[in-house]
Amino acid sequence: MMASLALSLSRNGGRLSATDFTWAGTQHYREALSIDTSHTLHPEDPWYWKLLGGKPNDPRLYTSLYNSLFYSLIAVPLGLAVSLAVALLIHRPIPGMGLARALLYLPSVLGGVATLAIWSWLLNPQVGWINRALRLTFDLLDGIVRPLTGRGTTSWPAPDWLYSPISCKPALILMHLWTTGGAMLIFIAARRRVPPELYHAAQLDGAGAFPQFRCITWPQMTPAVFFNLLVSFIFSMQSFNESYLLQNRRQNDGILFLALYVYQTAFEPPYSLGYACALAWILFAVLLLFIVPVTWTSRRWVHYVDGH
Amino acid sequence: MLGTDTAPGGMVGVSMMRRNFARDVFIYGAIVPLCAFAMLPLIWAGISALKPLEDVYVFPPSFSVSDPQWSNFYEAVTRLPICRFLLNSTLITLTSVMGAVLTSSMAGFALARLAFRGRKLCFAVVLVSMLIPTQVLLIPRFLLYDVLGWIDTYKPLIVPAWLGGGAFNVFLFRQFFRTIPLAMDEAACLDGATPWQTYWHVLLPIARPATVTAFLLSFVFHWQDFLDPLIYLSDFTTYPISVGLRMYQSLAGTWANLLMAASLIALVPVAVVFLLCERHIMQGLGVIRADGRREVQEP
Repeated sequence: MMASLALSLSRNGGRLSATDFTWAGTQHYREALSIDTSHTLHPEDPWYWKLLGGKPNDPRLYTSLYNSLFYSLIAVPLGLAVSLAVALLIHRPIPGMGLARALLYLPSVLGGVATLAIWSWLLNPQVGWINRALRLTFDLLDGIVRPLTGRGTTSWPAPDWLYSPISCKPALILMHLWTTGGAMLIFIAARRRVPPELYHAAQLDGAGAFPQFRCITWPQMTPAVFFNLLVSFIFSMQSFNESYLLQNRRQNDGILFLALYVYQTAFEPPYSLGYACALAWILFAVLLLFIVPVTWTSRRWVHYVDGH
Repeated sequence: MLGTDTAPGGMVGVSMMRRNFARDVFIYGAIVPLCAFAMLPLIWAGISALKPLEDVYVFPPSFSVSDPQWSNFYEAVTRLPICRFLLNSTLITLTSVMGAVLTSSMAGFALARLAFRGRKLCFAVVLVSMLIPTQVLLIPRFLLYDVLGWIDTYKPLIVPAWLGGGAFNVFLFRQFFRTIPLAMDEAACLDGATPWQTYWHVLLPIARPATVTAFLLSFVFHWQDFLDPLIYLSDFTTYPISVGLRMYQSLAGTWANLLMAASLIALVPVAVVFLLCERHIMQGLGVIRADGRREVQEP
């Protein structure tokens, strides 16, 4: 780590080796983060440039940071909500749940290059099943909507998924939802530890399903929620494979993640290793910027049974 | 937990049973589509892999295959040296996983059972190191292996696994060992066992769920690892399957059916290992509480 910090403060001679590093001070950080305030903003510039107050000196850094945050801040809470809901559905020992658990956990084990290849083909706008299913749904909807509103749904466009700057992020979020089985297992384990007496008592008091969830299940499971939240956020901010393997020109850098940008900076010409280290430290700083407040406020919303 | 919802006897019991039945129907109704969604990519890959090449690009895509082309699988492994890639992957994965499970269980044992100065600090370091993004360590590690002359060998992929085997595995073993009663160690100690013997003959056999979980997680991690081989290997005959598939992917426009077949073949070992380990996972992951609830004992 110290080596990384030192490297981020130095400059190398455009070669992929440990030789010829010279001291550069905070130059990389200034280069990466600085913003040209004299730039006049155009309407087609990204909206967050207005927040920054000008054109960034390294626009791709901000693009990748924006992409990583956008992806993580949507995919992680959505994934947790889905896996929590599924865990509450299948935690009961009724027949078939063991099989369902295995089937739902399997994707998170399989995630990798092979499944990314399969997904990219499944999401193919022309010959993939997802868009085929969407079009069939639109056709069905047409029968209901057209008599009511006079306008059909058959002509609704199906998204281009990985081939458009707008829908490439939802495509990755969909893939993320597919792999949330690990969080689900931890939720199931947590749900099984909730003492059944609490539910007996609540039922005697006539509490319905939602109050039971709000007052018993949720507080008892907050430690698992906290754990899963941190782990998934850390993982999704470091996503590399998705953006490396599924990138194409038509996305217009729509899924360029920070991890990929670090890799490109370091291992593609001109091999700016020092600058890449500085970028990696910016990634770490952003991660901490989110983790530290969550951990601090966790004392208020995470319920510890023994009060530790 | 049927017991939670059934009230004792009489009218209430009957209405409860009816409600339970309705609830179960609802659960099955929700679970079946979810499982279908989970299996969708695999089914899709299976069907696409069996289609003749010209059918793959037909619009609209069909949901079935009329004339299964089993020879596609044979062609998929011969057009690129997929068998070679699989062999490489097996070699890298098995050696790394052995190291990861062994060393992380040792580290977990030390953190759970041995009294030494700085134990709490060591554990804190393990926990904090889970937060550090891989990207921060990527470049210094690369330069270190460069200096050691390890580039273009399997050493950068295998040796780190033998040096602790991942913070998460250490954490998992430490938590699991702490749920085992201290009386076990004391009994072994009275019989004259050294800490080594206690670890190897007493605690490790009991910690089987943790071992299986760590085995599965590291197997998956090393089998699917893409970034490290991408950086450290340049000769394509040494590629593991993850990077090898990448070569197919760049050809996806040409042979989508073969890509699907090759992807399925790459997933088979993971699926097999998963099915073998699945029973123990719940128990293994059950010790992760992250909530400081009192465990069986506080050593």
